[in-house]
Amino acid sequence: MDLKEILERKWPEVKRKHLFPQLPVPQLVEGEGDVALEIKSKQISISVSFLEQFEGRMAEEEVIEALLDHGITHYMYCPWDFHTHLLLYNEAKKVVKDKEMAQRATEYFIDVVANTYCVKERETKIPELYRHLPKGGVQEVIASLYQEIWGVDLGISGHEDRVRRLVRIPYLEKRRWRESIKKFTKAIEDILEKEIEQERTSEKRAQNPLGDHSFSNYSLEEIDKGLREFASTVEDIQEFKEAVEDLKDELAEKGYASGGMGRGAGNPIDADLLFYMKLAENYTLPIRKLPMERSGDLHPHSHAPWEIGKPFADIDVWTSFGKIMPGVTQTWVRREGEIYGELESTPDCLIIIDSSGSMTNPRERLSYAVLGAACACNAYLKNDARVAVYNFSDAFRGNKLLLDYCTEKERIYRAICRYFGGGTALDLDDILFLLSQAERSDIFIITDMQITNLEKLIELFNRIDNRVTAVHLGHNVHTARFMEGTKKRKNISLYSVKNKEDIPKIVLGKIREYWASSF
Amino acid sequence: MKNPFEEFHGAARQSREIPLDKILQSKEETLSRILRGYEDLLKNEAKDLVWLMQYSTVIKAYTIAEKGIEGIEYTAEDIEEFCYALDRTDQIPYLITGPAGVYISALCNHAKEDEIVLRLQDLNVKINLLGYRLPPGKRVVVEGNVGDFTGIGLDGGELVIEGSTKNYTGAGMKRGKIVVRHNVGFNTGHGMTGGEIIVGGRIKGLGKIVGGKVYERDHLVFPSEGIKPFYF
Repeated sequence: MDLKEILERKWPEVKRKHLFPQLPVPQLVEGEGDVALEIKSKQISISVSFLEQFEGRMAEEEVIEALLDHGITHYMYCPWDFHTHLLLYNEAKKVVKDKEMAQRATEYFIDVVANTYCVKERETKIPELYRHLPKGGVQEVIASLYQEIWGVDLGISGHEDRVRRLVRIPYLEKRRWRESIKKFTKAIEDILEKEIEQERTSEKRAQNPLGDHSFSNYSLEEIDKGLREFASTVEDIQEFKEAVEDLKDELAEKGYASGGMGRGAGNPIDADLLFYMKLAENYTLPIRKLPMERSGDLHPHSHAPWEIGKPFADIDVWTSFGKIMPGVTQTWVRREGEIYGELESTPDCLIIIDSSGSMTNPRERLSYAVLGAACACNAYLKNDARVAVYNFSDAFRGNKLLLDYCTEKERIYRAICRYFGGGTALDLDDILFLLSQAERSDIFIITDMQITNLEKLIELFNRIDNRVTAVHLGHNVHTARFMEGTKKRKNISLYSVKNKEDIPKIVLGKIREYWASSF
Repeated sequence: MKNPFEEFHGAARQSREIPLDKILQSKEETLSRILRGYEDLLKNEAKDLVWLMQYSTVIKAYTIAEKGIEGIEYTAEDIEEFCYALDRTDQIPYLITGPAGVYISALCNHAKEDEIVLRLQDLNVKINLLGYRLPPGKRVVVEGNVGDFTGIGLDGGELVIEGSTKNYTGAGMKRGKIVVRHNVGFNTGHGMTGGEIIVGGRIKGLGKIVGGKVYERDHLVFPSEGIKPFYF
């Protein structure tokens, strides 16, 4: 029977077996014979030449079914998504400290998990397929492991010591995968090293017969979501930075760089900025809808093709090229208009951020001040407002950075993440200059308040009508003074945080109040 | 009306039992028995969460530990698993490194295998008293660093530490061999009467040694011209 016919017949069966995953119909491709599968952006491709190699050893139907089972289980169970894949890679890297080895260990691990899951939970021909697959190096150890944990004979002997350690890993316990991959990597570390060393000398890569699991196989959206989740999972910024640095080639290949919303070709990836971008995205601000009224007027909303019998009155002569002809002529579709009850809009925001020595360096450790500022930045940008940044330590010695109002996220983040260290003094002329560039701009200041010219700042805030949100870290005499000095002003809100981790919540809470309140 | 989920009926299959399930189940059972033995030891020896390291307390703790592990079928991997369980508060109510070390030593000394490899690089706690009374014919290899009193009372076995140890390494050992790849702390070999301590790195200080040999980076430091045997 024709391979295409077999695939078309098998696909609905396999899909049903796996409870109808949302995957496109797999395709057959011509290619090198060694690798059976490729999964890119959820599209499963099966190599015809690989299938031909199996002729006489196993029925084509069974090979296709086993390959589909394997491919679907990767999608349905492990790694499931980019985030899980990256997380597993990160844990493996902690053990082997080498990118190539960590990637390879991750691939083997997710193959073991996916195959074992399939063998346990579904009726599958995967063991039969493995019986006929070429085995050598790590693949042989893994086949030996399969013999023990699946209870099948794959014709392998030896590796008892190693397999004794490998069989004790709970592959099907998702919540223990991070710990499990470490044990797995440690158990195969030496043979993995040998395998890679051999490849380097012979310049021939030992290919995974069931296909590699490259990070570039994911779509941009999956990478975006995965990085966001990864940023909130990692223990510190260095871990994130290291992982992103490791994968920068793969990410760049997908056109992923830190431009605008974190994506776009051309710019090199700045892992620090990306970290804060992705982390801040986890604190998305739900903005209250402003009151709207139905005006009762109909206004032209969209186009629809004109048909004979429809009135001429609504024809848009401009898009119809002056012709009355079905298929060419377009009419306006009218809708009832919506207007604002009151004229409201989101003002621009000036973010004043302290990057003196007493603050955390955002490029070394997670800075909650920067994270707070990033959340505020996101909130304003999402409301089509512009954001300016005044980053300072000892401003009079030139340790300051001014960014005029703009909507370019990357520039804003770059300005927020700049770290000066040293003393703390504000140049109020700079702030006044930035305030003069926008109409009634909001001010968001985040500092530990140990500012040498704090009195002048209090004076300034007492003079202006702009809404000010001041977030300070810790409690000291300076914060008490600021509180005292600004207590009569209703436009100034001060937030003291005991735990730095609370900053994003407080910032968001406050801005939520802003939009909820009338101006 | 047609049930939209009708197609799912019969699609799901009962998961079948594979040998992995049994392996993991038996591993969990063994670990919980080992943990119970350890808890018994703590109940007897460290009621007030205090354990004083004395000659008599170590002997007593070891006797209780031996009783605690009686009848348990375990492997070297189970011992390693137990070491990591010491790091997790969800499995161990409280950790006192002294009795823990005595307990691990008892496990090693009574294990079926002659050679036990413990990969403890990722362990946060430093276990004391590891290798206590290691008998002849047994070889314990520890990958990672360990704490104080490593290999005390060593009784003919070979203890290899692929890392560093702290103070009183090999104290009171009678025979056998301790190999430490990196550094050891103060009072190394205090009261030892025989055997060898071979240190690949630096020895911070030697104790009062009665007999045996101590090497530091291939040089014999005891007995030597400057350091003579001590008589208690």
